Amino acid sequence: MREALEHLVGGLGTAFLALAAVLWLLFVAIGCLVAVGLLFVPTALRLQRFVADRERGRLSRWGPAEIVSPGPAPLSWRDAVRDPTVRREWRWLAWHATFGLVVGIIGISLPLNAVRDGTFPLWWKLLPPPDATSSLGAPVVTDWVGAFGVWALGVTWLAILTGFGPALARLQARPGRRLLTLPPDVDLSLRVAELTATRAAALDAHAIELRRIERSLHDGTQNRLVAVTVLLGAARRALTRDPAGAEELLGRAQDAAEQALAELRTVARGILPPVLADRGLAGALDGLATTCAVPCRIDVDMPGRCAASVEATAYFVVAEALTNVSKHSGAAHATVTVRRRDDRLRLEVTDDGRGGADEGGGSGLTGIRRRIEAHDGILTLTSPPGGPTTLTVELPCGS
Amino acid sequence: MRIVIAEDDSLLREGLALLLRAEKLDVVATADNPTTFLAAVDEHKPDVAIVDVRMPPTHTDEGITASVEARRRQPELAVLVLSAYVEQAFATELLSGGAARLGYLLKERVGRVEEFLAALHRVADGGTAIDPEVVAQLLTRTRPDAALNRLSPRERDVLALMAEGLGNTAIAERLFVTEGAVHKHIRSIFAKLDLPPDDRADRRVTAVLRYLEDTQRRG
Repeated sequence: MREALEHLVGGLGTAFLALAAVLWLLFVAIGCLVAVGLLFVPTALRLQRFVADRERGRLSRWGPAEIVSPGPAPLSWRDAVRDPTVRREWRWLAWHATFGLVVGIIGISLPLNAVRDGTFPLWWKLLPPPDATSSLGAPVVTDWVGAFGVWALGVTWLAILTGFGPALARLQARPGRRLLTLPPDVDLSLRVAELTATRAAALDAHAIELRRIERSLHDGTQNRLVAVTVLLGAARRALTRDPAGAEELLGRAQDAAEQALAELRTVARGILPPVLADRGLAGALDGLATTCAVPCRIDVDMPGRCAASVEATAYFVVAEALTNVSKHSGAAHATVTVRRRDDRLRLEVTDDGRGGADEGGGSGLTGIRRRIEAHDGILTLTSPPGGPTTLTVELPCGS
Repeated sequence: MRIVIAEDDSLLREGLALLLRAEKLDVVATADNPTTFLAAVDEHKPDVAIVDVRMPPTHTDEGITASVEARRRQPELAVLVLSAYVEQAFATELLSGGAARLGYLLKERVGRVEEFLAALHRVADGGTAIDPEVVAQLLTRTRPDAALNRLSPRERDVLALMAEGLGNTAIAERLFVTEGAVHKHIRSIFAKLDLPPDDRADRRVTAVLRYLEDTQRRG
């Protein structure tokens, strides 16, 4: 029920946008009759594409299939009229701005009315008699029997919402699913373009990753080993002059060598955690949870294995997210959920901290996002001030 | 000899200072970033600066930029640059303004204390110290060139040590020959490579490096 409500509210949001786009398009169309409107055609078409893409994004996140955006809108009236995608978007706008809006309003008034009528017996006495009605506006309630009648109506609203909520949400999304998907050939060529772009991003991400490894080897491990040779050199020089000093230098050299080993282990683990191969994603995530400073519940329900690179990405996403949780969120609990739906892996990391997480704020999220987009996946971060923070990632399993 | 060290890795910085102080050298200041390094140079007017190439904030070539700036402020300053890895192209760029009072060594050379101290003194006394690795890169990447091929194996050894910045005495010690023999080899090398003979080690280094680089480019 919660999910259905979320969809209905989301749909209502895009319906308002659609309404605004329709009004603007009509306004510009009328303006075109006196030529002034021609100036605004590009903005109107861009607005239209923006709204349609919002809906595409919403429906993609809902799943199961992703609805690809056709890219930037045509900017002249003539191109737009010829473009079947644009014409289909007009039809969608008309539907969604009217039908979708009404369904959305019904959808959110159901729970509101359920609460209002469900609590009616508690406060109906406070109302002046002509105002004491159910959410339908009639009839006027004058006694307790009537008040409980209204209460029963509230329960009915709740039942309707539970029973028909999901269907209502699907009904609202239907025009979008039908009209905003692209014809197969267009869809395919766009997908190829998108994959080419993400493939380049993948190679970038890979190069950045290699750079990180090079840096931690040169600036970390190698420096430790250089320190070892420096201290050993100093110790050798001190052997005859000052044996006690030499002993101390050797001790330091040993410490430095041990540090080098520890850093080498960290670097190796950062490339591909061995635990992933040994114990699978669930086991590896359990390991992450035990080392996390914030108590963390891991809930993995994933039959079978995904491609190694997908599991590694999932692992690093969770590692980064949990690092952020313990560093910045001030949370008392975190939860990691992993589900596999068909051939998509869905990860969710939630904490009850202070929220306000910002992707630009120097967190490792930028790198993570690149990695995910390289896998043709989707990352969403919601973190209102005051929390909670939820990071959701969807990845194609690749197997 | 008054020394300032610029190295961002604390363990290495302390280790280096420890080693030099044990050798009775005067480490007057250490710095972990370019800004404090330049401030230390201004304040202490050292003879030598030992500088790590990669330092904050970006860990790329801050050390080089800082060295150049330090020498601009104090032209007599000798600079020994330490690097996690060496690139011959980088060395030639560093030495493009003359090789006097400049050194470019792999970090781990510090562990061979005698050789490191020799290089440090050489640089402080107006000479040059180029890492053997740089010279090896030059020699292996150089296409066999008629003039180079005419060098005897011993002359090649001498050439390599010359390119590192070693003086005649040091070369003689390394190769267990007399200084007179080294002198003869060097004359022969300069004749075969058609270079004007020069006794000043730093000019010799530049000449030899430039020669090797040119052959490489031509090849």
